[in-house]
Amino acid sequence: MKHSETVFLVDDEPALLKALGRLLKAEGFAVQAFDSSMKFLSAPHNNGAGCVLLDQSMPGMSGMELQQRLIQEDSALAVIFITGNGDIPMSVRAIKAGAVDFLTKPVKDKELLAVIQTALEKSRTMLSERAEITEWKKRYAELSTREKEVLSHVVKGLPNKQIAVTLGVVEQTIKVHRGRVMSKMGVDSLAQLVIVAERLRLK
Amino acid sequence: MNWVTIIWSMTAAASLTLAGVHGFAWLRQRRQMASLMFCIMAVATASMAGCELWTMQQRDMDAYAHALQWYNLMRWIVTLALVGFIHFYLDSGRPWLEWTVCGLRTVSLLVNFVFSPMVYYTSIEELVRIRFLGTEVTVVEGIPSPLSIIGQLSLLVLAAYLVDATWRSAQRGNRPGAIRVGLSAVFFVLALSIQMMFALWGFIDMPIVASLFFAGILVVMGVELSEDMLRAAKLADDLKIRERELISERKLTDAIFESAPGMLYLQSADGSMVRWNSQHERVTGYSNTETSQMRAEDFCVEAEKEILKEARTIALAQGGHDVEFDLARRDGRTSRHFFRIVPVEVAGEPHLVGIGIDVSSQRALAAETERQREQMAHIARVASVSELSSSLAHEINQPLAIILSNAQAAQRLMAHETPDLHELREILEDIVSADIRAADVIKRLRSILRQGKPDLETVSPHALFDQALSMMQPELKSAGVQISRRHSKKLPLIQADRIPIEQVLLNLIKNACEAMEGNGSREKTLSLSCVNEGAWLRFSVRDNGHGLGEDGDKIFEAFHTTKPKGLGLGLTICQTIIRAHGGNLWSEKNKSHGATFHFQLPLVPENL
Repeated sequence: MKHSETVFLVDDEPALLKALGRLLKAEGFAVQAFDSSMKFLSAPHNNGAGCVLLDQSMPGMSGMELQQRLIQEDSALAVIFITGNGDIPMSVRAIKAGAVDFLTKPVKDKELLAVIQTALEKSRTMLSERAEITEWKKRYAELSTREKEVLSHVVKGLPNKQIAVTLGVVEQTIKVHRGRVMSKMGVDSLAQLVIVAERLRLK
Repeated sequence: MNWVTIIWSMTAAASLTLAGVHGFAWLRQRRQMASLMFCIMAVATASMAGCELWTMQQRDMDAYAHALQWYNLMRWIVTLALVGFIHFYLDSGRPWLEWTVCGLRTVSLLVNFVFSPMVYYTSIEELVRIRFLGTEVTVVEGIPSPLSIIGQLSLLVLAAYLVDATWRSAQRGNRPGAIRVGLSAVFFVLALSIQMMFALWGFIDMPIVASLFFAGILVVMGVELSEDMLRAAKLADDLKIRERELISERKLTDAIFESAPGMLYLQSADGSMVRWNSQHERVTGYSNTETSQMRAEDFCVEAEKEILKEARTIALAQGGHDVEFDLARRDGRTSRHFFRIVPVEVAGEPHLVGIGIDVSSQRALAAETERQREQMAHIARVASVSELSSSLAHEINQPLAIILSNAQAAQRLMAHETPDLHELREILEDIVSADIRAADVIKRLRSILRQGKPDLETVSPHALFDQALSMMQPELKSAGVQISRRHSKKLPLIQADRIPIEQVLLNLIKNACEAMEGNGSREKTLSLSCVNEGAWLRFSVRDNGHGLGEDGDKIFEAFHTTKPKGLGLGLTICQTIIRAHGGNLWSEKNKSHGATFHFQLPLVPENL
């Protein structure tokens, strides 16, 4: 079976890169191997869903540091740590920072593949969520200033009458604006609108 | 009272006094025959003086002759006593001269009694009174008898005997006092014989005054005898003092022998036992009687007898020697003893004084300490292994991961209809090399944990650094330490136990890393170098961390640590290892940041 997503391998041990590469390629993954964090960062890596299999201890930039860089880049790549001598505090930190798993060498193929599947799933989710938010941002940008004001009050749960008083207009006008906001944002209910506003952090 | 009476009485009194003094001395010391002879001679001389005085006062011929007979008896005694005195005092007279003198005198005495009334004259004309020393005394006038020659001859032979004895005594180196006695006797005897001759042949008118001459001899003899007595007394005193000194000396040496903190003995050069203290008896268990029949090496276990004999030779040649051996006790037990042997001359013969101290407990303690040190070193090794456990886990897991992933990739490739054999071969090769790598790690771990004597092997300094660095690789990587290696161009091989030396390097590198943990923005730099310094190879590990604290000198002490979880054994063990190799380990504060640790290892001669 063929996978569209790329699995990135970053480890300073060439023999291990080769071995993991063979295994994943045999499983049909597109694999890109790097023997240092810097090499990985300088190569294109943010084209769609994928995951990074990251060695924790490496010369130069460590696995943890690379994870931070990916977060800063707002990357959709899911991170899996694989380490020879991981301890609990280290794994907790990695998971808190969003890593999918923290594997200890040697890792069995089934376990590894399962984790990679989960990671890719996560990456795909992240990508689709990101696409949704981009769409909503675009729609929100199309709202007029008055409509944005109305939206902000509506999602706070204020009734139309009170919004009218606040903005110094009649209640009927607010109803019109509200209807326009709903159609422009492409939502059917107040509940949906509240969720969108939440995702866009408008509250 | 006239002068004659006074002089002759005083002579007699003086002679008797001398006789009394020396007679008493003889009674105290019967072996002093010279004193006895002197005493007899003095008594006889006193009697002689009495007889002379008697003759001088006689007016009747018969009475005179009678007195003269007694006088001659006294002279006989005096002469014999004088010969006897010289015989015992000078101890050098010729016996035949002695016998001749005594014989002649005896003949003279016998003649004296046979040819009464007068031996000296063939015909006596008359007794005449002459004035002598202001008084009238009786003398005889007549034709001297040829028999009187015997008396004269005896005097001359006596003089010859005295001269001969004195001469021989002087030649034998006798003391001057004895010579004086001999010479004065000769002088008085010759003077007497001349006076006698003159008086007899009528050249001078004088009574017989022989007692005065003999008294003269007596005085000289008495003085010398008294000096001898004084000298003897002084010698006796000296002897007493010396004896007392000897006794206290002996007591002192006894005390020294007994106060020695171990066995103390005196042995002759061939090893036979001369003197020993009670500690010797107590420790060896042999009685004094047994010990006196033994030699020093009999107290030594069989295997070390030769060592002891050799030590004796060395001690005699070099003025002392130390030796240690197992003492064999009577009950069969042995105990380790340390001996210091010093040569000493006793009664002109070379001897040896030895002091032995039981060092078995010290040796046992030292062995125990050594055992504990080894145990501690082992513990430290285990501790360092556990400190390294995370990197060791990495070291082992890495090849295992490679093997597993490769093997599972191969399994998947085999599932394909046309497996890529080339790929499979490569996979198998990778598996083999990863497996060897894992085995190496295990081997290294085992040798670190191994306990026992160091094995020297020929190693390259580069390899030592390489191994230590490879074990520290993960830590160095994750800490971001820059490593610079600067070595002499041509480094010789050294003889060392590889694993401990690697452990030392590992420890120093680990310490350096820990010292650089708080460097912040300053780049962490670890400089390793190995320099050929002639007879030595110097390894240096330099960091630019926080450096050594105030107590920099204490860092090599056991259980001194600046780390919260440290045992404080690392550097102590390092130093022990380096010293065991004949090298040394020291630290140095850097001018800017951090510290440098150096250690030197001696190069084996063929590598110089």
